[in-house]
Amino acid sequence: MNQSDRKAETKGTEAQGETYILRLFMVDDEPNSRQARENLERLQQTYLKRPHKKEIVDVLEDFQTALENNVLVTPCLILVSPLPKVTVFGNLNDTKRVVAALRLT
Amino acid sequence: MAKRTPGEKTENITTKAKELPKVAAGIAGLDDVLYGGFPAGRTTLISGGPGTGKTVCGMEFLYRSAVNGEPGIFVTFEERAEAVRRNTLTLGWDLASLEKRGKLFLFGAHVDPQAAISGDFNVKGLLAIMEGKAKSMGARRIVIDAVDVLMRIFNDPMRERNELYALNDWLNDHEMTAVLTVKTSAGGDIMPRYEFLDYMADCVIQLDHRVVEQVSTRRMRVIKYRGSSYMHKEHPFVITDNGVNIIPIMTVGLQHKALGAKVSAGHPRLDAMLDGGYRRASCVLLSGTPGTGKTTLANVFVVAACERGEKVLYINFEESEEAIVSGMLSPGIDLRPALRDGKLRLMAAAPEVMGAEEHLFQALRAIEAFQPDHVVVDAMSSCRRMGTEQAAYEYLIRLTNACKEKGLTMILTNQTAGFQNEHEITGMEISSIIDTVVFLRFIDIGGEINRMLMIMKSRGQKSSNQYREFVITDKGIDVLDVYVGGGGVLTGAARQEQEASEALEARRKRVEIELREHEIKQKRAALEAEIARRRAELETAEAELKALQLEEGVVQESRDIRGKIRGEDANSLRLKTGGQKRKGRGAGRKEGTK
Repeated sequence: MNQSDRKAETKGTEAQGETYILRLFMVDDEPNSRQARENLERLQQTYLKRPHKKEIVDVLEDFQTALENNVLVTPCLILVSPLPKVTVFGNLNDTKRVVAALRLT
Repeated sequence: MAKRTPGEKTENITTKAKELPKVAAGIAGLDDVLYGGFPAGRTTLISGGPGTGKTVCGMEFLYRSAVNGEPGIFVTFEERAEAVRRNTLTLGWDLASLEKRGKLFLFGAHVDPQAAISGDFNVKGLLAIMEGKAKSMGARRIVIDAVDVLMRIFNDPMRERNELYALNDWLNDHEMTAVLTVKTSAGGDIMPRYEFLDYMADCVIQLDHRVVEQVSTRRMRVIKYRGSSYMHKEHPFVITDNGVNIIPIMTVGLQHKALGAKVSAGHPRLDAMLDGGYRRASCVLLSGTPGTGKTTLANVFVVAACERGEKVLYINFEESEEAIVSGMLSPGIDLRPALRDGKLRLMAAAPEVMGAEEHLFQALRAIEAFQPDHVVVDAMSSCRRMGTEQAAYEYLIRLTNACKEKGLTMILTNQTAGFQNEHEITGMEISSIIDTVVFLRFIDIGGEINRMLMIMKSRGQKSSNQYREFVITDKGIDVLDVYVGGGGVLTGAARQEQEASEALEARRKRVEIELREHEIKQKRAALEAEIARRRAELETAEAELKALQLEEGVVQESRDIRGKIRGEDANSLRLKTGGQKRKGRGAGRKEGTK
């Protein structure tokens, strides 16, 4: 296993049941990745009230995590927990669709 | 598509030294076709329909590389890594141990079909993984299997194209020797949206798997090879228990050995007719109608060769091993000692069980393993049942060429249909590679049917051009003196010229007699047919008469019954009819029809 370069941030406390974990795979200097990151931040503020954990993985720096998560395309957002796992490809500019996919409604 | 670039050399093996650096594909025969292997540090595309062997070709390249210490990465979008490991075990490839040693990395890149899509994305994730792995393993070779499956997630030809170019750029930037596989439609054409792959790749190979007349055949063809020559044509290939085997179609007769020393045909008189026997490294055809003794003649040679300590590979398409061994015992030919001593190897296979290239591969492998001095194929006429005539032809030409290259004597038997087709003796237009033809036939003269033997062609040696009587006894074969039709023997050398013309005359007469016999036979058949026709006419007429008589009987009977019903009053009438009856049938009938 490689060292992990994950930039993780946790909001709130882990009081209510399963922790909500989001993992965003991206490439730092790419426009789509930058957009995905901004879109995800906005989404967090608007829809994600409960405590959650967000990990950002730069695939060029940590290919091992990308490999483990079978990430072939970037940007790529994975809802790791709670199960079932959800994958969203793209820059996340379709908020409605992303919110629905992440079961946030 | 297979247009030559201006700098390309003509097809010639000697030019290969000047060409761009190559990496051995490690696949039997493919490196011959590609004149050395895949282009080093560049992309090769293998396209083909489902089940044509794309994956196994790619895997074999990496497997052989890894075994030789060269690490490689295998990315597949179609199968799970575990399935690949399991499938290749049947080929005897232990991928797991190579993975453990860091020589191979299997990546079952599964594209999640349920993934939601929101906005733009690209294949950077895959590139990052490949880059990371390549760096950590020191891998310079990569196979990306079923790249079309990955492209499905883009669902847009423009984007697919861009991503494939990005992938190709990455491969080129990292100087990876890469093999991409892509599925084509059932027709064999690459799907229009991936057509540009043909231009993108430096080397394009097409695989094909078709079933012709119930026999499956695999073919491969190189479409292009930038900066290198390659063998054009379609090459058959097989996937066997040790991987992919391509059998390149070489130019005929390129490296044939010269005809060698005389080798006994197995009988002194036959040897005398052949001026000492067959020649080593030659191709001998034993041709004749069914039952004339072709197999016997072949086995006489086999036993003699094995007794001298030489080895013979006997490819038999007609009978099982047991059948041929016991069948040869009746003319007193015992193959068992040769089999026991390992001098003779019998390979029996029904022609239709597999395709021609599989047969060829098996034969070539047996030659490689057994290292025989002579090869017998019994009978080449059965090869047609491998599929098409073309397939049979290729099988024979290539097997013969292989034997000639190795300097092996080859004995072919061929069954001809009948007397009329004497000229088809060599069959299938392979006469150019046949050096000697021994022709066997029955001849029916003076109420006897005898076997005749004749040397019809013998390259590079003198031979008798006369028909001889050929006898099969329970102690083998015998070749009797020159046959002259009426009995008696021609001897002496003084009247050679006269004898020659006499022999010619005798032969001409025999042909004439035969023609006459044939004519009479036909006339007799015509006569018999005529008799049969007349007889049938007569029988029809008789049958008609009988039917009329029967009808008349019924009419008379019913008339009698009517008379009875009418009782005593009709007495006179009954007497009247009775009287008429006595007058004869014709009158009675006349009465009835009134």
